Amino acid sequence: MLKIRTLMASAMVASMGLGGAGLAQDEPAAPPITNFPRNETLIINNPEGPAANPGWFNIWVAGAGGSWSGGLHQLNLDTLWFIDPDAGLDGAVYNELATGPAEYNADFTEMTVKLRQGVLWSDGVEFTAADVKYTVETQAATPGYVWSAPFADAVASVDTPDDYTVHFVLKKPNARFHSLFSVRWNAAWIMPKHIFEAQADPMAFDNNPPVGLGPYTLNSFDPNGAWYIWERRADWDKTAMAEWGMPAPKYVIYRSIPSLDKRLIEMVNGDLDMIHDLSPEGMFNLAKQAPTARGWFPGFPYAHPDPTLPMVIFNTQNPMFQDKRVRWALALMLDPVEMSMASYRGAATLSAIAMPPTGTHTDDYHAPLQQWMIDYELDTGMSKIHPYDPTVGQRIADTVRPQFGDAVPTDPEAINKSFGYGWWKKDLVAAGELLMAAGFTKQGDQWMKPDGTPFAFTLKTFVEGVINRLGTDIAQQWTQAGVAVTAEADPVIYANDLPMGQYEAATAWSIETWGGNPDLSFFLDSWHSDYVAAPGERQTARNWQRWSDPRLDAIIEQVRQTPFTDHDANVALGNEFVKLMVDEMPIIPVMSFNVFSAYDTRYWTGFPTAEANPYANIVNNWSNAKYILTQLEPVAN
Amino acid sequence: MKTYLLFALKRFIQLVAVVFAGCSVAFVVSHLSPISPVEMVIGRVSGQSSYSPEAIESLRATLTELFGLNVPLHEQYFNFLRRLVVVDFGPALIAFPRPAMQLVMLALPWTLGLLSVAVIFTWVLGNIVGGLAGYYQNSRFLKAFGIVAIGAQPIPYYIVAFLMVIIFGFLWPVLPISDGFSMNVRPGWTFEFIASVLHHSILPAASLTIVGIGTWFLGMRALVSNIVTEDYVTYAELAGVKQDRVVFSYVIRNAVVPQLTALAMALGGIFSGTIITEQVFGYPGLGSLLVRAVNGGDSALVLAVSCISVIAVASAIFIIDLAHPLIDPRVKAE
Repeated sequence: MLKIRTLMASAMVASMGLGGAGLAQDEPAAPPITNFPRNETLIINNPEGPAANPGWFNIWVAGAGGSWSGGLHQLNLDTLWFIDPDAGLDGAVYNELATGPAEYNADFTEMTVKLRQGVLWSDGVEFTAADVKYTVETQAATPGYVWSAPFADAVASVDTPDDYTVHFVLKKPNARFHSLFSVRWNAAWIMPKHIFEAQADPMAFDNNPPVGLGPYTLNSFDPNGAWYIWERRADWDKTAMAEWGMPAPKYVIYRSIPSLDKRLIEMVNGDLDMIHDLSPEGMFNLAKQAPTARGWFPGFPYAHPDPTLPMVIFNTQNPMFQDKRVRWALALMLDPVEMSMASYRGAATLSAIAMPPTGTHTDDYHAPLQQWMIDYELDTGMSKIHPYDPTVGQRIADTVRPQFGDAVPTDPEAINKSFGYGWWKKDLVAAGELLMAAGFTKQGDQWMKPDGTPFAFTLKTFVEGVINRLGTDIAQQWTQAGVAVTAEADPVIYANDLPMGQYEAATAWSIETWGGNPDLSFFLDSWHSDYVAAPGERQTARNWQRWSDPRLDAIIEQVRQTPFTDHDANVALGNEFVKLMVDEMPIIPVMSFNVFSAYDTRYWTGFPTAEANPYANIVNNWSNAKYILTQLEPVAN
Repeated sequence: MKTYLLFALKRFIQLVAVVFAGCSVAFVVSHLSPISPVEMVIGRVSGQSSYSPEAIESLRATLTELFGLNVPLHEQYFNFLRRLVVVDFGPALIAFPRPAMQLVMLALPWTLGLLSVAVIFTWVLGNIVGGLAGYYQNSRFLKAFGIVAIGAQPIPYYIVAFLMVIIFGFLWPVLPISDGFSMNVRPGWTFEFIASVLHHSILPAASLTIVGIGTWFLGMRALVSNIVTEDYVTYAELAGVKQDRVVFSYVIRNAVVPQLTALAMALGGIFSGTIITEQVFGYPGLGSLLVRAVNGGDSALVLAVSCISVIAVASAIFIIDLAHPLIDPRVKAE
């Protein structure tokens, strides 16, 4: 028995080891607090895994391992403008630290910004133009800072006529220079000059605890990187956000929960108020399990359409995809209803044009272009066809109605917004004619390239989720149509293979827009041929297809000299771009990236909704989701 | 004593050889990763805005030099061996410039804590109950335990872990399914913190235990079933030795020696199980850190985690080896 007692004692010692496991942890930077009352605390899902370097808050340094979606840039930092992908509280564009839109000179070689007065950093020091000048000059001069290259590339000089005015002289005309300071998901955040200039090596400075211009400061964080707790500043009214009201939650907790299943469980248990994303099945289950939880739409399709366009991307530097007839043929081999069902279980919003069907784009582009698309004629070489099918959205609605009943909209306009306006018809005959016109032949069920080898390639796709399902389905449809396509789940699709051009075709996206504004510069500027890399070299974001065309360059150059605020001119240029993309089909647009963001109204109400008050994006790791906090109210008791 | 010291010295030389070989293999494997940490950072940075090809090249050169990757692979290997002696793996590339060992030391206590509790509990309980089941072959309770253990033993760790998440996190939500401790406590030698850590470790530890216990139970039962027929056991029973003493000192003590050897051989596998468990439960530790390092293409951190794991497992086997002669005097005569 003595030995048993010895063994039990050993087990106890091991238990003590387990209990003391966290004692080797870093001490959190803030004083301990004992509880977070739910009527004062909003709990948000951070979709990333735990941060590799949790105590790092110097967001301006590249690759240091701090959390990107743990609340730092969402709650603590600030910059000049925000652009919401939805309606916004008072329009989609927010003048945040700036008092108004950027002011350019006639040839767009100078930009002037007027800054808010009376805004304080969280340590009480006043924010001035010197901070903006320091941010730009420091980063431009130091490679390794996140926004170093864009500033170095664009800015000739920056000066501050007074404490609240910044004047930039640009190296070349650019009517979109201000977009570097305009938050979509993220932007160039203003650095606290008085903090950073005191550091011997600002790039090694962890900025812990962070001094920011946002309405929250760091309360504490998990030394293992799983959660961050932010506390509302006592002087929140000295921040730019005060213009839109007091953020209601005293505490905001960002919890890293990478597992989709566990997000659902935590929300059902009342331990999570906002979920970043779920699987389609997870969202359908959540709607059943938690009566107080819901998505962007009140019923099917639930998901928030991000201004991002999942698509088939062809590597146009590969000879296989340099003929537009081949690209068009591949588009006509796809059944849109099947793609929607296979990827999103029908909850997809399709787009036949190179424009996400979200935010204001449907009013600016999709709806007005309907007749042009219906009339669009494609010459296959043997016949002329009208490839557009405007009934696709209706057909998807009819397909899912037996399962989801009244949750599926019936109003045609609601169907257009939910499921898309239409897509290209599956037309294997026309696809075959296009391939034959391009010199392809058919042997049995297999298409052969003009050189006599099989038309076969690999389609790289995400390792999981709806994009993985989409890629798998597309590969299957093409294979059934006689093109031997293998889908390959690629864990480094964005990190390596798309930028390095190490792919033949892929399901991913190269189009991301502001969403709440018709201007396309957010992605389109990077599509200029100046940025197209040679084969084997790294392609800068976002023209992963490496496609260039003099007509495209002309559009981009016109955008660069068109005021951001000129709605009609930007829509006209956007229309030119869309029509060029339909003609050339360098990518096959498929759908918006619908995010199954969900929120629970058990403890908080006032979240935005698609149907009644779409004032903000509910995809909560976007910085502009912070405006939601000003609209929330705790549920009584 | 001299014989024992010689035995220990031989084992120590083996330990050093295993660590050297294991870490060298880890170096080669970690550098075979198709993911470049430099390209990962460039991807993230250049995603913010349009970068000209020249700006990308400039950033790549800066990062390559900063990360110490601008020297040939063999030079990196010799640098690595030099640093291995002082257990310095250089900066973690996904948390640059933080030293990789800092991250490892942050994660190590969690894995060691979880692993030691699970292994000791599983091994001790499995062997005792298995020994009793082998000796008392007609006990209904022990037979039933055997059926459950045989049923659970082949189930993969992650299936049990997922089941426990669903049962105790969703259907009957009484236990935490994520993190190492609650957000409303702070690390320290306080009752609240220790209780919170133990509370959060129940599900991960239980999933390792449920699957692991069957192996030890079945092995011990089979060993004891043979030993009880040995002459010395029959003689002890006939001589009127107390039954407890027969069970624990005559039977289980003799049967435990191969089980100890089996434990040494199984430690690596158990460690891998812990890595999966940490992932499923979002539990901090070396497993979670390793996954982050692999996904980030951080060869320095992968190396640090791998080498520390090799050292930890090899050291545990070394300690078990040293304990062998104490339990089984025949080993000394080797």
